[in-house]
Amino acid sequence: MAQSALTIDGLSVDFEGFKAVNGVTMTVDDGELRVLLGANGAGKTTLMDLISGKTKSTDGRVYLHDTDITNWEEHKIARAGIGRKFQIPSVFKELTVRRNLEVASCKKPGVFANLRFGFGTDAERNVDEVLELIGLTEEQDRIAAYLSHGQTQWLELGLLITQNPKIILLDEPTAGMTQAETHKTSEIVNNLKGRHTIIVVEHDMAFVREIAERITVLHLGQVLAEGNVEQIENNPKVREAYLGSKGIS
Amino acid sequence: MPMKRKIDWAIYAAFVVLVMLLPLVMDAFWLNRVAKYLVYGMLGVAVALSWGYAGILNLGQGLFFGAGAYMLAMSLKLASTTSLQQGSDKPVPDFMLWNAEPGAPTELCCINKASFLWLPFQSQWFGVAMGLILPVLLATILGTIVFRKRISGVFVSIITLALVLLVRLVVIDSQPVTNGFNGLTDLGWFNVAGLEFDPYIVPTYYLVAVSLSLVLVGTRLLIDTRSGLILQAVRDDQNRARYLGFDVPAYQTFFFAVSAAIAGFAGMLYVIVSEFASPTFMDLTFSITMVVWAAVGGRASILGACIGAILINTISATVSETEGFAEAWKAIIGLIFVLVVLYLPRGLAGLAHDFIDRLLARKPTASPQALPVSETSSQLAE
Ligand SMILES: Nc1ncnc2c1ncn2[C@@H]1O[C@H](COP(=O)(O)OP(=O)(O)OP(=O)(O)O)[C@@H](O)[C@H]1O
Ligand SMILES: [Mg+2]
Repeated sequence: MAQSALTIDGLSVDFEGFKAVNGVTMTVDDGELRVLLGANGAGKTTLMDLISGKTKSTDGRVYLHDTDITNWEEHKIARAGIGRKFQIPSVFKELTVRRNLEVASCKKPGVFANLRFGFGTDAERNVDEVLELIGLTEEQDRIAAYLSHGQTQWLELGLLITQNPKIILLDEPTAGMTQAETHKTSEIVNNLKGRHTIIVVEHDMAFVREIAERITVLHLGQVLAEGNVEQIENNPKVREAYLGSKGIS
Repeated sequence: MPMKRKIDWAIYAAFVVLVMLLPLVMDAFWLNRVAKYLVYGMLGVAVALSWGYAGILNLGQGLFFGAGAYMLAMSLKLASTTSLQQGSDKPVPDFMLWNAEPGAPTELCCINKASFLWLPFQSQWFGVAMGLILPVLLATILGTIVFRKRISGVFVSIITLALVLLVRLVVIDSQPVTNGFNGLTDLGWFNVAGLEFDPYIVPTYYLVAVSLSLVLVGTRLLIDTRSGLILQAVRDDQNRARYLGFDVPAYQTFFFAVSAAIAGFAGMLYVIVSEFASPTFMDLTFSITMVVWAAVGGRASILGACIGAILINTISATVSETEGFAEAWKAIIGLIFVLVVLYLPRGLAGLAHDFIDRLLARKPTASPQALPVSETSSQLAE
């Protein structure tokens, strides 16, 4: 069996009595791509918040390989090797595309360690490669604020790729995208497969079919089912949970 | 180096050369005035760094300016030959003497309960060191608390604003050590190895001019570092920066403290050229005026904010000499500020940048007929 990259053990959070995530246990293998499915409000984003330190859990533990990272400060979790893309795309709006990636290429967290000029040829080459991968080479000198919605999403993906974390958390990377854009995004994500362990939240089933290996379905803060695309689509419990909400399509 | 960067540095160089050449054409009176405006220019740099680059609108920059000013003024007060108690080997500032309790020993150590605080200021260099250390210390403490708690935006502005008013009150209230409302006047001259910096001599002008040039170039280099870039990333999206692994409060606090150090430095220079320190340095209007300078000059440009400060003050001085126009000028400044905020968010520097961009864009087709008239006029109309 492959070594597990991320182990979540009985993770819960209690928002004044409301358990948005309730005893979630799951293991994600090294290099795996895991899709998180679930209706609106199922707790997918909250689960990512708990893993990345945005929200502090009230119970349970999170391990990155063998390190217990439960409730660490966000930037320390990030340094330990977990990168995250937000549901609302966020990039550094007043900087150029290239500058955005250069920020992400700084490996040291502290202010004094970064009191130096330039990024080094290796880092610049890496930035070039990432620009190529996310298809923004032509746009590299544009201010990020002027990018289209899709391009902004790709730039944020680019930030993550440059940061090069062990685990990448993607929260609805294709939200608001056209079909063509969605397809390009799945290409980017497929390209990352194997190099990183990836957890993706996604509603778009076409996208899920393009990328997914294993799927975990969340419902009301709990794990409802786990399996490959076929198993999940044919799972009666999943069908039932989805009926009356968005419907799995 | 890309063309734009080269032009940028060329403009910095031109500015420095211009400032250095002014003594050739100006008399002592005007030099002293301009020296003050250069000090204001340095404050513009401090505001641009914290507002434009760190995204921290400090409405209490006067606190750091005042701290720097008072620290050096204490030393220079003790160096004044006219204001000290005559005939004692341990001189005491005049105001302490006037307000001393009957029978109190006329010694700096103990003429009043807090006068001992002045003892180390008998060394001028202690005052100079404190003029930097105190602002940095205050900024670091304030920054650590505020930024670790993730307070941001208008709340930081309100806190800084409240703090400068608080300190101003404390300074006015501590009459026995600060001379309260009257501030510290009748100061001695700053003295380096026997050279006395009389405010009306050329070397004093150069002290300020060289200091400003160093601060300008130093700050510009600082924001060209990786940390400077990460700082701008933090300004744009704190959370994104945090989840890339950066220690966000450390960046904010560090640059906030650098900005404070620059303001403290400016405060010291101001004391040297104007020969007083006063609680008015910590008036709210003064701190807000600094923000106006930076906004007009361009808060996202170190040099722009600096020139904004110098320009506004030079115009103010010229205009307010015209009888009856002085009051109107204040209103005009207010109006300019509103117009800049509404229509020119990047200030004069933004205009200059656009102009350079256009020149660069036009370069490949540099022949005079290259642009049809209609296009030129539409560009002007933009
Ligand atoms: N800080 C909070 N305080 C209280 N309730 C919260 C908080 N954050 C999330 N919730 C609640 O937890 C539930 C799960 O929210 P979450 O955002 O994780 O859903 P989701 O699965 O990501 O949904 P969507 O598909 O709409 O993004 C929701 O009912 C939400 O209102
Ligand atoms: Mg969500």
